[in-house]
Amino acid sequence: MTKEEIENLMKTEIETRGVVFQTDRDYVLEKKGENGLKELEAELERMGHPIKYKQIKSMAFYPAGLRVLSLQAMKNVFGFDDEKIKEIGNIATKKSLIIKLFVRYFLSTERVFFQEAPRLWQKHWTKGTLVPVEMDEKQKRALLRLENFNLHHLYCSVYLRGYFAGILQMIIKTPQISCEETKCSLKGDEYHEYLIQWK
Amino acid sequence: MEINEENRNSAEEKISTLLDDLASLESYIRDLFSFLPSPVCLVSSAKIILEANPAFEKITGYKTEEMIGKTIDVFFDKERTEEFFERTLKEGFIKTEETFLFDKDKNSIPVSISTILRKNEEEEVVGFFFVIFDLSEIKKTEKILKDTQLALTNMLEDVEEAKDREEQEKNKTLSIITNLADGLLFFNNEEKIDLMNSQAENFFGLGAKEIIGKSLQELDNFTDLKPLVKLLGKKIEKIFRKEILIKKNLTLEVSTVPILREKTKTGTLVILHDISREKMIERMKSEFVSLAAHQLRTPLSAIKWTMKMLIEGDLGKITKEQKEFIEKTYHSNERMIELINDLLDVTRIEEGRYLYKPMLIDFGPVAQFVVNLYKEEVEKRQLKLEFKKPEKKLPGVMLDVEKIKLAIQNLIENAIKYTPSGGTVTVALKHDKNEIELSVQDSGVGIPEDQKERVFTKFFRGANVIRMETEGTGLGLFITKNIIEAHGGRIWFESEKDKGSTFYFSLPVKKELESFLGEF
Repeated sequence: MTKEEIENLMKTEIETRGVVFQTDRDYVLEKKGENGLKELEAELERMGHPIKYKQIKSMAFYPAGLRVLSLQAMKNVFGFDDEKIKEIGNIATKKSLIIKLFVRYFLSTERVFFQEAPRLWQKHWTKGTLVPVEMDEKQKRALLRLENFNLHHLYCSVYLRGYFAGILQMIIKTPQISCEETKCSLKGDEYHEYLIQWK
Repeated sequence: MEINEENRNSAEEKISTLLDDLASLESYIRDLFSFLPSPVCLVSSAKIILEANPAFEKITGYKTEEMIGKTIDVFFDKERTEEFFERTLKEGFIKTEETFLFDKDKNSIPVSISTILRKNEEEEVVGFFFVIFDLSEIKKTEKILKDTQLALTNMLEDVEEAKDREEQEKNKTLSIITNLADGLLFFNNEEKIDLMNSQAENFFGLGAKEIIGKSLQELDNFTDLKPLVKLLGKKIEKIFRKEILIKKNLTLEVSTVPILREKTKTGTLVILHDISREKMIERMKSEFVSLAAHQLRTPLSAIKWTMKMLIEGDLGKITKEQKEFIEKTYHSNERMIELINDLLDVTRIEEGRYLYKPMLIDFGPVAQFVVNLYKEEVEKRQLKLEFKKPEKKLPGVMLDVEKIKLAIQNLIENAIKYTPSGGTVTVALKHDKNEIELSVQDSGVGIPEDQKERVFTKFFRGANVIRMETEGTGLGLFITKNIIEAHGGRIWFESEKDKGSTFYFSLPVKKELESFLGEF
């Protein structure tokens, strides 16, 4: 990622909850330990936008650009590929405080998908709308749309796929879930579209 | 504008404070959940695990992120899980229920689970809390306790069985002891009497109750027990078949046996065998033999002298052939007289009337005299008779000369009689400061191994010598033994069948004899 790209990214007005940095922090601590976290913070400092992970407040809002930089810095320092970034997204759903707060609304699959998922998005982000399009339990598939949200492909085309799969895993009894981005506004589509399928 | 700006700043401050409070609350809840020692998990209505604490990670072996999204069935039996859910939905909670949890490695862990419903503000069920309590250690302890209890029960049963067996054995032994024909007394290690059977009660005319627990010293106060107490001594030693006269017509043969339990002496058993009947028969037999011998000796003596007169021609001339017949008859009569004399000696010995007339004598000439008696006999039998004696003069011994001569004669006669022609008979004398020893060695037929024990008993004749020599009363060695022992001496022998025998006796020199006689 070039310096220019970084600066452009940081110009976005979108903000996100601090909890996402906490889930990143927990992942790094578990996989790479304290030294790994220090290396990550050093990389972010080198990129010009330092993050002190342990000082992040889960409910506070932070620039969305930092969220992308945190993932990119992990790729730079630890050589994580897209699958790892997807895994971070998936594990984040299981550690996120906001998800835990939402668990009390996990009464049924339909309620989570059609009512709570859009609210969940709003709790995390200051921009964008998550639209549940279709949920077919017989066909074992669901379709989600993310409108009015342009950030970075590392987030929308990689991280979010793991994240959506993680949430669905908490409401559907299945050993395997996959999530693919079928449309992407960064590639000229009107919105992002995610097809989630399970076995 | 300024007011709006102030309001905005105030609102931001409030939001910041709220955020701080929220963060603190989150940290508090996280810590509370993390440090909870019991495994806890939150399960959705669809039985999917939504949250688990580190203790739950520890017991299952799964990481939280691995568990979240899995159904609770992974950890418990499916049917039991259904039951837990149904009961929790119905009753609101399960207090404790024992089941098994399957960890990541499929190990079965005994646990107790508690559940509680989680509801939202609208009282809708949003999930269940599962709280687990690991029972492994308790079950282990329980198993140890059960095993110990079982082991103790088994031991107790074994002890009971052993006790019953011991009781049966005890009853059996008591029954044997009570009904035994011999009298039994048991003295403990303190020499106090612990047991007296009914036969012993009969012997002494006492009840066991009268003497149980009494010491040897105390038993001496009972008149009938005095001979026994005297025999047993102050401290009971080993006694083997010693005879004691308790009262008229009651003679007991006493033996003692130490009773050991696992090599430790627990006491001494005194066995009292009634030999009164044997003694009476023996006495009657001796009386009969004595009577018969006396009655026979007179006519035999008359026959002897009549024959002697016939042989010597005092009653007229007889032919050579007649003389030979009469001489043979005379010798047969002599042997009968010898037999009668032997029998009389035996009865005297048994009745204690075999009187000794000890005199201080030089033993050498006595032995020489007896040896000389057999010179002709030895030549006739083509044997060699040697007499070996020390060069120095032997110390004096107290002897009844006639009896000692008889003893030496018996030994030499046996040696000559049972040694085939060409053999040697050696009589040897030796001494030390305490005793004189005479030995008679032959190269004869020897004594069979299985008969050696009976050599000095009355009427004993070896099976091999009966075949070769029909004469002999079987009384010679019995008489010899009694003569030697009456002098305070010892007699013994060595023998090997077909190779020969050596008979020895020793006599104490004067001072020892005096001390021996002093005992009487």
